[in-house]
Amino acid sequence: MSEAFEGPLEQIDECRWRIPRSYKPQMRVDGIIYADDNLIKTIRADKSPEQVANVATLPGIVGASLAMPDIHWGYGFCIGGVAATDPEEGGVISPGGVGYDINCGIRLIRTDLPAEDLRPRLKELIDTLFNTIPCGVGGTGKVKFSKTQLQELLTEGAGYVVRRGYGWDEDLDRTEERGCLAGARPDCVSDTAYQRGHDQVGTLGSGNHFIEVQVVEEIVDPAVAEVFGLRQGCVAVTIHSGSRGFGYQVCEDSLKDLRDAPKKYGIELPDRQLVCAPIHSPEGQRYLGAMRAAANYAWANRQILTHLVRQAFEKVFGRPASELGMHLVYDVAHNIAKMERYRIGNRERLVCVHRKGATRAFPAGHPEVGAVYRSVGQPVLVPGDMGRTSWVLVGMPKAMEDTFGSCCHGAGRLLSRGAAIRAAKGRSIEKELLDAGVLAKAKGRTGLAEEQPAAYKDVSQVVDVVHKAGISRKVARLRPIGVIKG
Amino acid sequence: MDARYELFDHTADAGVRVFAPTLPGLVPPAAEGLYAVVGGLTPTGDAQVAQFSLTGEDAALLLRDLLAELLMRLMTEGKMAVRWEVREFTPARLNALAWFCPVDRTRSEFQREAKGVTYHQLAVRPIAGGYEATFIVDI
Repeated sequence: MSEAFEGPLEQIDECRWRIPRSYKPQMRVDGIIYADDNLIKTIRADKSPEQVANVATLPGIVGASLAMPDIHWGYGFCIGGVAATDPEEGGVISPGGVGYDINCGIRLIRTDLPAEDLRPRLKELIDTLFNTIPCGVGGTGKVKFSKTQLQELLTEGAGYVVRRGYGWDEDLDRTEERGCLAGARPDCVSDTAYQRGHDQVGTLGSGNHFIEVQVVEEIVDPAVAEVFGLRQGCVAVTIHSGSRGFGYQVCEDSLKDLRDAPKKYGIELPDRQLVCAPIHSPEGQRYLGAMRAAANYAWANRQILTHLVRQAFEKVFGRPASELGMHLVYDVAHNIAKMERYRIGNRERLVCVHRKGATRAFPAGHPEVGAVYRSVGQPVLVPGDMGRTSWVLVGMPKAMEDTFGSCCHGAGRLLSRGAAIRAAKGRSIEKELLDAGVLAKAKGRTGLAEEQPAAYKDVSQVVDVVHKAGISRKVARLRPIGVIKG
Repeated sequence: MDARYELFDHTADAGVRVFAPTLPGLVPPAAEGLYAVVGGLTPTGDAQVAQFSLTGEDAALLLRDLLAELLMRLMTEGKMAVRWEVREFTPARLNALAWFCPVDRTRSEFQREAKGVTYHQLAVRPIAGGYEATFIVDI
């Protein structure tokens, strides 16, 4: 594990801490970390604030280098990092600010099924999901695409597979960007990326990816929960997955393509993982185009997974998914870079917002929130660990003022994978979860140990901070009752 | 100094530290370390040789690029390097032959999906008795 952060952390208020730009001469803006008094202790214990300070050196960065309360040590950008750069001020785009798993994200499906109706069939459902959803390392998708079809999918995103019967039209109204970022450039994607991802559309992956069956345990904001379709005591399903090998290779290729860009454009970096290029440069535009293609791949991936989840429920309950009320609540990306407009100072600016382990959180009235939710704001989906709880929040106007419309994305890791495996020695995590009321099924031998609840912060502590900070507001709390992992 | 690798903790990813008496000697244990991150992999069948000729300005980047190539072959072709002949490894050049075999999926355990060999904490440096390399794998 890395050493503790020994730089300055000045408390701004009960939810925010500042790393002043004077900490490092190359910092162009302050760093601001969202955390309370308790969380800041664990945050100090690793060097993630150093990464917040490093990001503050990026050319064209505006506002502040931000970190959400689920911050933890990553590479280049910390996980939980948010940074906006202005292309008109030489702002850069950095693949490290998105990560290898481009558009890793979360999707929440609601149902009208009361939890007590599910319980007698929970094992059958988990087994069916496990057998239906391709997961684990090397899992291949059930839906095959030729290269030409894949290229079309890369420009059309989730809509491409919905139009082919893998979902409902309304799913797109409830997906960030309607499941498709404009400006995708399949021509900027290497043959290797196609090779790596050609058969992985509609696969879950492994590691911290999962499909979780949950019960809506507490409604905090009844009015918004009603609009979101969340009912206390009813079953919901969360999907966590991304762009699979396709996105990983796009990131790999882009990091190499941009390797010489800092020197070429006179950019000095404190960490080479922050490799970047001006957004308007050929390198920057190539990355943006390829990244958008990978983002669209991820949305198509989660759309097919949604279809397979609905099929599993239909098989177990013998009723159509529509009758079970299996509407999509929302789909959010938490590893992405997008061009968005914000009022900065006295004018509106189009900036590139990097969210690496952070979720968009647009408020009521924002034109980019789909009509179905524009009256209340965008759902913000924040999964916790598989033993405790997950949250649904709603975006608030303060996010637009303070965090470039961003919020946390999850619990944040506390233990390294190695430490988690050591901590699990002699224990059965599967049995412990079962004792806690969670039926878990995993493909890999070490998956449950690495992802055990103790490996993560308590997401409720994380959510408390963003709620108090006013950047998102609690709507509902979900409790896991079953999970499948690759 | 024996050529070897060890895995070290990183919050969300996997760290590999490699030791060898010479710079070229780092390559085989680095590859083994990468494969160990993915899981317990067992090769099978006849080996086929592939040549790698990489140029650059930095031994660490050359090693990383080679490892990224190994990861790509593992994930797209299901093949792993089982033997090496490293002909040259300097900060400017890495020339090597590697013999690849298919991974025997019946006797292998893929524990983790390695997304990429990152640039974070990437280093190759001389130490007493030889060289040390570190790299972090995103999993």
